[in-house]
Amino acid sequence: MSYRIGVDIGGTFTDFCVFDEDSGALHTLKVLSTPERPGEEVLAGMRELERRYSIRPADVSYFTHGTTVGVNTVIQRKGINLCLFTTEHFEDVLEVARLKMPDPYDLFSRRPEPLVGREKVFSIPGRMLFDGSEDTPLDEDAVRVAIAGVRAVGGTGIVVALLHSYRNPTHEQRVIEIVQAEAPELFVLSSADVWPIIREYERTVTAVVAGYVQPRVSHYLTSLQAALAEAGVSAEPMITKSNGGVMTAEAGKTRCAQMLLSGTASGVIGACQIARMANVENALSLDIGGTSADVAVVRLGEPQYGVGEMIGDFPIHIPTVSVTSIGEGGGSIAWVDPQGVLKVGPESAGSTPGPACYGQGGTQPTITDAFVVSGFLGNTGLGYGEVSMDKDLGVAAITTLAEPLSMSVEDTAEAIIKIAVSGMYLEVSKMVSRYGIDPREMSLVAFGGAGPMLACHVAQELNMRRIVVPLTPGVLSAFGGLIADIKNDFIRTVYLDLDEQTAITVHEGFADLRRDALAWLRDEQGFEGEATVLYSADMRYRGQSYEIDTVLGADSSVADMEDAFHREHERLYEHADRDAPVQIINLRMVVLGEPPKPSLPKLPPAGGEALAHKMAYVYSNGEWRHGGIYRRDQLAPGHHFAGPAIITQDDTTTCVLDGFTVTIDDYGNLIIEVAGA
Amino acid sequence: MAIDSVTLEILKNHCRAAAESMAFTLYRTAHSTFVKETEDFTTGLTTPDGETFATPTDLGATWFVALNYKNVIDLIDHYDEGDICLTNDPYSGYVCTHSPDMHIWKPVFHEGEIICFVVGHIHNTDVGGAVPASLSRTLSEVHQEGIRIPPAKILEQGVINDDVVSILLANVRMPEQNWGDLKAQIAAMNTGERRVHEMIAKFGVETFKEGIGDLLDYAERQARTIVADLPDGDYVFNDYMDEDVANGYPCRIAMKMTIDGDELLFDFTGSDPQIEGSVNIPTGGEVRHVLMMIGLIYVLYSLDTRLFLNAGIARICRCILPTGTIVNPKFPAAVGLRTLSVQRLQAIIFGAFVQAAPDRLPASPASGGPIMNVNAIDNATGRRVVASIDPITGGAGGNPWQDGTDGSGANSSFLKNTPVEVNEAEVPIRILRYGLAPDSGGPGKHRGGLATVLHFLSQAPNTKVTARNRDRTRFTAWGVRGGRAGAPSYFLLNPGKTNEVNLGNTDILTIDPGDEVLVASGGAGGWGDPLERDPGAVLLDVQRGFVSLDAALRDYGVVITDGAVDMTATSDFRASRSDEGSGEFFDYGSGRIEFDHLWTDGNYAALTELLRGLPVHWRFFVKHRVFEAMDVLDAAQRLGDGSEVRTIFADVIARYPQLKQAAPQ
Repeated sequence: MSYRIGVDIGGTFTDFCVFDEDSGALHTLKVLSTPERPGEEVLAGMRELERRYSIRPADVSYFTHGTTVGVNTVIQRKGINLCLFTTEHFEDVLEVARLKMPDPYDLFSRRPEPLVGREKVFSIPGRMLFDGSEDTPLDEDAVRVAIAGVRAVGGTGIVVALLHSYRNPTHEQRVIEIVQAEAPELFVLSSADVWPIIREYERTVTAVVAGYVQPRVSHYLTSLQAALAEAGVSAEPMITKSNGGVMTAEAGKTRCAQMLLSGTASGVIGACQIARMANVENALSLDIGGTSADVAVVRLGEPQYGVGEMIGDFPIHIPTVSVTSIGEGGGSIAWVDPQGVLKVGPESAGSTPGPACYGQGGTQPTITDAFVVSGFLGNTGLGYGEVSMDKDLGVAAITTLAEPLSMSVEDTAEAIIKIAVSGMYLEVSKMVSRYGIDPREMSLVAFGGAGPMLACHVAQELNMRRIVVPLTPGVLSAFGGLIADIKNDFIRTVYLDLDEQTAITVHEGFADLRRDALAWLRDEQGFEGEATVLYSADMRYRGQSYEIDTVLGADSSVADMEDAFHREHERLYEHADRDAPVQIINLRMVVLGEPPKPSLPKLPPAGGEALAHKMAYVYSNGEWRHGGIYRRDQLAPGHHFAGPAIITQDDTTTCVLDGFTVTIDDYGNLIIEVAGA
Repeated sequence: MAIDSVTLEILKNHCRAAAESMAFTLYRTAHSTFVKETEDFTTGLTTPDGETFATPTDLGATWFVALNYKNVIDLIDHYDEGDICLTNDPYSGYVCTHSPDMHIWKPVFHEGEIICFVVGHIHNTDVGGAVPASLSRTLSEVHQEGIRIPPAKILEQGVINDDVVSILLANVRMPEQNWGDLKAQIAAMNTGERRVHEMIAKFGVETFKEGIGDLLDYAERQARTIVADLPDGDYVFNDYMDEDVANGYPCRIAMKMTIDGDELLFDFTGSDPQIEGSVNIPTGGEVRHVLMMIGLIYVLYSLDTRLFLNAGIARICRCILPTGTIVNPKFPAAVGLRTLSVQRLQAIIFGAFVQAAPDRLPASPASGGPIMNVNAIDNATGRRVVASIDPITGGAGGNPWQDGTDGSGANSSFLKNTPVEVNEAEVPIRILRYGLAPDSGGPGKHRGGLATVLHFLSQAPNTKVTARNRDRTRFTAWGVRGGRAGAPSYFLLNPGKTNEVNLGNTDILTIDPGDEVLVASGGAGGWGDPLERDPGAVLLDVQRGFVSLDAALRDYGVVITDGAVDMTATSDFRASRSDEGSGEFFDYGSGRIEFDHLWTDGNYAALTELLRGLPVHWRFFVKHRVFEAMDVLDAAQRLGDGSEVRTIFADVIARYPQLKQAAPQ
């Protein structure tokens, strides 16, 4: 017997996805997360897997894991007492940031308080210049004075972020040597080592977020390794990364900046796999949980990447699967404004107390309560029976709004859903305009606890005609971890005008990056299979202040590189200027190693009609209608039926509106389409 | 309300989505770096009458929420489907407010009827004229500020009007950029039109037509609710710009706000005559001109961030804007640098409102810092570099709950800086310091936000530095309720050296290798008595380097010994100073106090009243002659009741018999 296990820890639930290598079957499990005792839920889940499916730890051949320890540390501001060393006269880098405020119309708008207060920022004289030359030598005595300052404020760690260190890190490295020699008890991190990019605020804030959480994350991973070993799992745990890949837990201890958004990223990786299986080229992935909806673009079966994704209040500028997070989820609270207009969010009941219908003390009406009132939810338990639904409590909560609005309870519920969905439409609209794509030509891959519940509504609002709900929609991030590649990113700033002379620098730079990349894959990750190396560069027209990551070949000529950039500029911005001089700012490289991946079998076709195991009354478009309740584990390829319908399974409930039809594809995915499409 | 409130809320989200999508389309496809860097553009949707009912809030400038396109819509005699119109003329309908802003609008038809307009603007880097980038304080006629296209069709039934395009492009310095950006604007209009058609299909044309009116009514009702909460009364507030023209005299904008129930009246009588320079604010006397509404929208939104942003808000307000003044100049007064005066105007509106809501609004934001540009030849490449290196913004005023934000905030929140590392990579300068200026925030129970400061060293000969919108070297950001004014801004050449020069409000400068430039914005005003500030907060400010030990003692009465607050000494010291406060609601700072000594309210009111009786083209001239005479007035003759101004004015008039021939206006 041999099993591959993917685990993803979320705020409320910890998800397990297990692939049985012998039978090709997928098993899923959710257990409650234990944020106060991270790691315990993993062991609890392992015990439960053994109890339910007789999966013994010794039979685990591959183990991937995504954790929110890092993100939660930032959000709850429970990181270490961190200090920052900057170049003298540039100590305000975190305070000033990029000046712009979150809400420019609000005179009271503020940037979040930095993770390192200005009183814990210390000046280091010494100056590097843009070309990497040294203008003023490092003042080593000042470093010693600064270390004394760190001790005086009780600091336990230091981030060193000096000007132009992306070009020449020797001052940063020397500071680290001095700290390690003089104060070995202090944790210390170099900004160029975390991610060596030009733009001092972006590089510094990325290193500060990493430094703030790294000792915590490292401690967690050490405990996890020990716990798994004790439980009898011999496979080295792999950690999912923000770039959609995985790395060893050992690497995660020093590279935690790379794993902070791993949960959302691996969900998108899972969605990409589902899209490929369902023969969908272009899709939007829609992951809705209790407090937020994460939407990502899948283009030709691949996710899109970006930088500047938010960790709590702070942007982090390392390559990350690009996800737009919308502050609306199943727990978003509905309310009536002083003008008598119904609104939904941004307040959320979250997982505690949760929607009123959960009966955990919540009394305010949420989107989930609206689905209970309209009959789509509350027909079975949620989350493996961990949470039960109390329909009366949901009705009572919605009634508090129905009265001031002079509407029936069911009309109020439907209005809440429609308003919430129009809010999601607003955010998705911005995203599709930013990318210049048309959702009407795309499919919606819906997952997460509330994604399949809202998918038909969202698709209707966006004029999308096709929805795919995977077999295990509630644990897709855990599934994504199982199919992720071992993956790392590398960058080098060159800042060159592209021409025949500078091309040598480009090719030499790529050769160096390739050496680093292969060393990482072979030596650090111990991966022996085939390595894939992808070349790209951040390029722009001279005079532009933003770059486009352009895919290049291993030995592209200058003309090839220019052509690739013009084409990419044309694709993204709908124009290109073939006569304008082109600059290369950064060389980039991605290295990939493909671990053995689960190959999901086609399921045997159904032998007859899909049978609703019972009927329910559901309310949509102003009418109560009959709808079948189907059990997901009884649906098989070839089954088809029409909405309204409810499909229940352990990890989520799928709501199908009237006007949609459902078919089951060969892999068991629900394909929900606009009737007559 | 005509349509039900649930549909209204859904329609609202769809309308905003349309406006945001237009903005993202424009931003994505714009050619010029200027548009991407500054986000100085807008998009929106208006009713057939031109009232903006939806605008984006994620991207773009914050100024044009209340823009009404009616005047320019009406200047086109008929519309066909597929038409797109534009104008950048500040004197055709007062929609465009300076020549670089290219405004564009497209009617959206449904079955032959105009249902709404999709609209927007881009600030072009250059539209020709006397100087590169078309803007300078030295210009005095709008003709010098570039080509002006009066309202015209750029597309007729979907076909480009090549005549208009070629005239425009022949007159600008970087035609490819203007053309590229214009194409992006057209793309944004088409995105908006498509979204409107989708909304009509979804909601039905009647619901859409009624709904967009309801969205205006909705914002109006929200605004009325906010204003009704404020006490009725007259609230007077005046403030000055340091100079009306380079090395000129102060320039006053005077305002009396009347709150009457849920309605507002802004009366600008008493403001200075129009300027022989380019800081005039072109309103045409429109009672709800968009530039007069910016401060209002900031205030109402800050009082209640649930406010839906559209032109419905402006319906609760009317303005009195006397002709021939800075707030309503007559053609062809130059208007290019109205940014400077409009920023001051915003803070004046804040000053009027804070009297009505002293426990709900902040002190004055910093301002006065320039947008810094450098134009030089790069030593390494031999190429000329023209770069915007940083906006020197300064912080927000202290407020009833917290300190003002440092370095940026309030009405400068939309600006972004350029990283030090990028500036050094692109521009032949070495940056010696960039950050916050200690002791610049106005002391207060809640401190005013600190100024930003930039110090750099030139690396190339003949480097041209421009510092647009310099102000607040003399008249500083006011504090409120016992809070003190922020520090003045400054602009120095070679600070601390034997060849140091105080550049004052200079906005253009040529420097050579080895020259250093030090520039800072003003600091923001404080809120509440600084002697009531939590000593722990003062200590933290000292530890952070935001307040010096000296200032802790002097401004806050906090005694810090060996890195800790000496609580006993602090209470004793504070008690001994408790009668120190002026008891005045506002603190305007020493520059203003000194000025007010000579230019009392009585004197300045007399001046503006007398000037009003003169022909417009004489007013600025006579103002300067009166100021000259006031400056040398014998101390004994200073009465402050206006009489000395009347005497001087009579003398000046007597000196110029030509004036008698000029017809009064």
